[in-house]
Amino acid sequence: MESLRILLLMAFRSLGGHKIKGLIVGSLLAFGTFLFVLGTTLLESVERAMEASITRSITGHIQLVSARAVDRLTFFGPEASSDQDIGVLPDFSRVREVASKIPGVAAVVPMGRYYGQPILNTELDEAIEALEEAFAEGDPAVIEDRIGKVRRMAARLKEDYLRAAALAADDEEHEKAIAALDRVTSEEFWTSLRHAPEEGLQFLAFEIAKLSDDESMLYLPFIGTDLHRYAESFVHFEMVEGEMPPPGTRGILISQAAYDQFFKNRPARVLDLLHEAKTLDGRRIADDAALQDLVSRLKEMTAQVTMHLSPRAATELDAKLRERFPKVEGDLDARLAAFFEVDDENFAERYEFFQKEVVPHIPLYRVPVGGTFTLRSMTKSGYPKAVNVRLWGTFRFKSLERSELASAYSLIDLASFRDLLGLMTAEKRRELDSIREEVEVSEIDPNDVEAFLFGEAPVIEEGGEADLDLDARLAALDRPTDEDSDTFDPAEIEKGTILHAAVVLHDPGKLREVMARLQEAFDREGLEVKPLAWSEVTGIIGQLVVVLRAVLYVLIGIIFVVALVIINNSMVMATMDRIGEIGTMRAIGARRGFVLALFLLETLVLGFFASALGALAASALLALLGQTGIHTHQPFLIFLFGGTALYPAIDLANVVWSFAVIVVISVISTFYPARLAARVPPVVAMQGKE
Amino acid sequence: MSAIVSVENVVKEYPLGKLKVRALDGVTLSFGEGEFAAIAAPSGAGKTTLLNLIGCVDVPTSGVVRIDGQATSELDDAGLTRLRLHKLGFIFQSFNLIAVLDVYQNVEFPLLLQGGMTKKERDRRVREIVEQVGLDKQMRHRPNELSGGQRQRVAIARALVTRPRIVLADEPTANLDSATGQNIIGLMKEINRKNRTTFIFSTHDPMVMSQAERVIRMADGRIVGEERRAAEGAA
Repeated sequence: MESLRILLLMAFRSLGGHKIKGLIVGSLLAFGTFLFVLGTTLLESVERAMEASITRSITGHIQLVSARAVDRLTFFGPEASSDQDIGVLPDFSRVREVASKIPGVAAVVPMGRYYGQPILNTELDEAIEALEEAFAEGDPAVIEDRIGKVRRMAARLKEDYLRAAALAADDEEHEKAIAALDRVTSEEFWTSLRHAPEEGLQFLAFEIAKLSDDESMLYLPFIGTDLHRYAESFVHFEMVEGEMPPPGTRGILISQAAYDQFFKNRPARVLDLLHEAKTLDGRRIADDAALQDLVSRLKEMTAQVTMHLSPRAATELDAKLRERFPKVEGDLDARLAAFFEVDDENFAERYEFFQKEVVPHIPLYRVPVGGTFTLRSMTKSGYPKAVNVRLWGTFRFKSLERSELASAYSLIDLASFRDLLGLMTAEKRRELDSIREEVEVSEIDPNDVEAFLFGEAPVIEEGGEADLDLDARLAALDRPTDEDSDTFDPAEIEKGTILHAAVVLHDPGKLREVMARLQEAFDREGLEVKPLAWSEVTGIIGQLVVVLRAVLYVLIGIIFVVALVIINNSMVMATMDRIGEIGTMRAIGARRGFVLALFLLETLVLGFFASALGALAASALLALLGQTGIHTHQPFLIFLFGGTALYPAIDLANVVWSFAVIVVISVISTFYPARLAARVPPVVAMQGKE
Repeated sequence: MSAIVSVENVVKEYPLGKLKVRALDGVTLSFGEGEFAAIAAPSGAGKTTLLNLIGCVDVPTSGVVRIDGQATSELDDAGLTRLRLHKLGFIFQSFNLIAVLDVYQNVEFPLLLQGGMTKKERDRRVREIVEQVGLDKQMRHRPNELSGGQRQRVAIARALVTRPRIVLADEPTANLDSATGQNIIGLMKEINRKNRTTFIFSTHDPMVMSQAERVIRMADGRIVGEERRAAEGAA
C-alpha cells in the first residue's frame, strides 16, 4: 500500500514535471475518449431508434421465412427491388400456432412483399366520365360546366399535338389524332352533343380519351398481409384518411407519403414540397438550386390546375388573379403562371391563397379515398396480371410521416396479393388442373405447383410446344377480379400460400432468445422455417449501422494509434531523460518491477484523468442533447432517428468501455518504454549524471 | 575487527569495441566494521569500478567480492538489489536526489522500498535523520530549492536512514566548495563514530584524504599503497 502511495505520488509528480508532454498525450486521450463515448452513444441511440422505426412499422422484430429460401429476404435497398426467390412458408397456420406458443411472442403477421403498377385514369378520362354522368343526371348547369372542362382539355391536347407535329415527321396516326381533336374543338361538335349526346360521348370516350397519356410509370411496393392483424400488431400504424376495409374484404391502404408523392395533383404537390422545404427545413428559394428548379417546373404546370376548373371556378379565379396581375396579357394560364412565380417573400401568402381558392375546385388526388384503381403486376411466372383494388384509406407510421423509407410500402389484402403474384387460389387451381390435363402434363405433385408456376419444374420443359399454349392460357387468367370475389373468407385465406411472416415481440431485448426458441420449436415440429432478425432483412439500412460503427471505430482507432505512438515515443524520451533517476532508484534498492510499475502508472494516471475529462465532456454534451434533442427534417435521418428528433441516452457501459480501452492503450503504449526503463542498470547512478 | 567487505583478487574488464579494458587488475583488500576509509586515485585508476563492485551495482569478471560474508557473484539482480537495499547506503558525487520528491520523501524512499515498517516508525526515523543532518527546516523543500551542500546532506540522510552496515560515497565533495566539502566530511565522520557505520569513499581531494583513518591508493587498476592513521580527534 505504502509503495503504491509513493508510486502514485511519483507518478503525479513526474507528470507535473513534464507538463507539455502530459498536455499533448492527455488531450489526445481525452479527445479519443470524448469521441468514443459520444460516437458509441449516438450510434446506439440511432440503432435503438432505427430498430423501433423498422420493427414497429414494417418488419416486426423477427421475420419467418422458408428454410429453403434461395435469397435472403430484404425489405430495403437494391436487393429489395430485384426479384427475390425466398420460397414460401410451409403451412402458415401451423407456423403461427407453433410461434405463438413461444413466450415473448406478441403476434405473428402473415406477409409478402411485391410491387405493382397502378393504372390510373388520365385526367381527360375523368373529365369525359364526369360529362357522361352529368348527361345521365341531366342538370344543364352541370352539363355546361363539364363541357367547358372537356373542351379546355381537348384544346390543350390539340396544342400539344400541333407542337409535336411541328417537330416530328408527319405520320398517319398523328394526322388522325389532330383531325379528331379538330373535330372536338369545333363549335358544331358541342352543339350537336348537347342535342344528341350519345354519339358525341362515344367519340370522346373512344377516339379522344386515348390520345391523352399523362400516365407516369410508377411502381408501388406493397406488403400483402392480414390488414387487421397488421394494424393491431404494429404500434406505429395509424390511419390518416378513410377506414380499414371490413375483415374479409379486398382492398389497399396506401401510405400517406406515397399517396402524396404519386397520387396528388402535381402543382399542389410541388407547392407542398416548397412549403415543407421552407417551413420545416428553413431552406430559401433564393439560395437553393433545387427549389428554384421546382419553381420553374411549377410554372409549366398551370394546365393541371386550369383543366380541372369548372367554367365558373375558372372565371372566379381569373378575376382574382387579374387583380393581382393587371399587366399580364393572355388567358388564365398566363396569369396562373405569373402566380406560380413564387419567391421567398410571397410564398407563404400565395401558398395560402392556393389552398383556399384553388384546391377546393380541383381533384386533389388522382384516386380519391374510397375510389378504385387497377393495379398491374408481373406474376412470378412472368405474365402480366391486373387486379382492381379499392383504396380504402391512407395510413402512416407515427413520427415517421416524412420518412420515405418507412412509407415505402403500401398494404394490400392477401387475396389481391396472391392474385398479383399469380399464387394459387382454389378456383385457379381447378382451372390450372384442367389446363394441365390438356397439355398432357401429368402427375404434378401438389408440392411442385410452386415450381410449376414459377417455371422451374422439369415437367414444363417436357411440354415443349405446349408451353406457348400454356402461357396463353395462364395469361387468360389475368383479368381484373370481378364483383363476386371482392370478399374472401379471412379464416381460409391464411391456409393458402404465405411467403413470410413478421413476429412482433413484447420485449425487443429478448430477440436472440426468442429466435433460438423459435428455431428449436420449428425444428421439433418438422417445419422448414428459419427466423431472421429484423437487422438481417433490412438490407443496406440494417448494414448502415454496421458501416457507421466501422467508420467510427476506424476513426477512434486512428486516434488511439496516434496516441499510442506519441505516448510510446514520449515515454521512451522520458526514459532517456530519466536514466540517472532510474539508476539512482535502482542503486538505492528499487527492484525492476518497481520501475516498471512506476512508468505504467504514470501513463495510467494520465490516461485516467484525460479519459475522465473526455468522458465527462462527452457526457455533458450528450446530457444536453438528451434534453434538447438532435432535430432533423431530413427524411432519411427521420427514419434513422425514429422521428424528427433523436434524444441520445448515456449508457454507462460506453463510459466504462472507454475507460477500459484507455487503460489497455496506456499499458500497451507504455510497456516498451517501461521495460526499457526497468533495464536501466543501477551502475549508471555512479556515472555522475543527474 | 571482522571484515564486512572483502575483495579477493578481483578483476574487472569492460568491453570497449572489440577490445577489453581491464579496469581492475587483481585487487585484494578488506574493510572492517566501523572503518572510515578513502580510496584515493587519479581519474581512470579504477576507484569508481571498485566502489561499484563493493556497492553491488556491478559484479566482478573474476575474483570474489563479499558483503557481510555474501559473495555478490552468486546473486541475481533481485538478490543484489536486496543486498543494496538492506546493507548498503549510497552517496553520489552529483547527489542524485529524485527531483520530483521533497526532502522528506527522498529520505523516506528507501524505507518505503524496504517496507515492513509502520508509518509512525518510518516518520520517526526520517525526522530523526533529517534533523541529524540539519535540514529539519527544509523538510518540505524540493531538491531544486536547496544548495549543493544541502542536497548532499539529504543524500547522506537517505543513505543512512535504513541504518546500513556500509555507506559508499563516490567523490562526495567533488561538486561542493571546500568549506562545504569539509562540513560534509565532518558530518560523515560524526555519523561513523556514532553509529559505527563503515564509510568507504573515493576522492582525490587531499583535504578529504586527511580526514580518513585509512587511505588506499590506486593506479592503473591496482592497489599501489595504503596508509593508516589514528582518527583525528579519536580517543
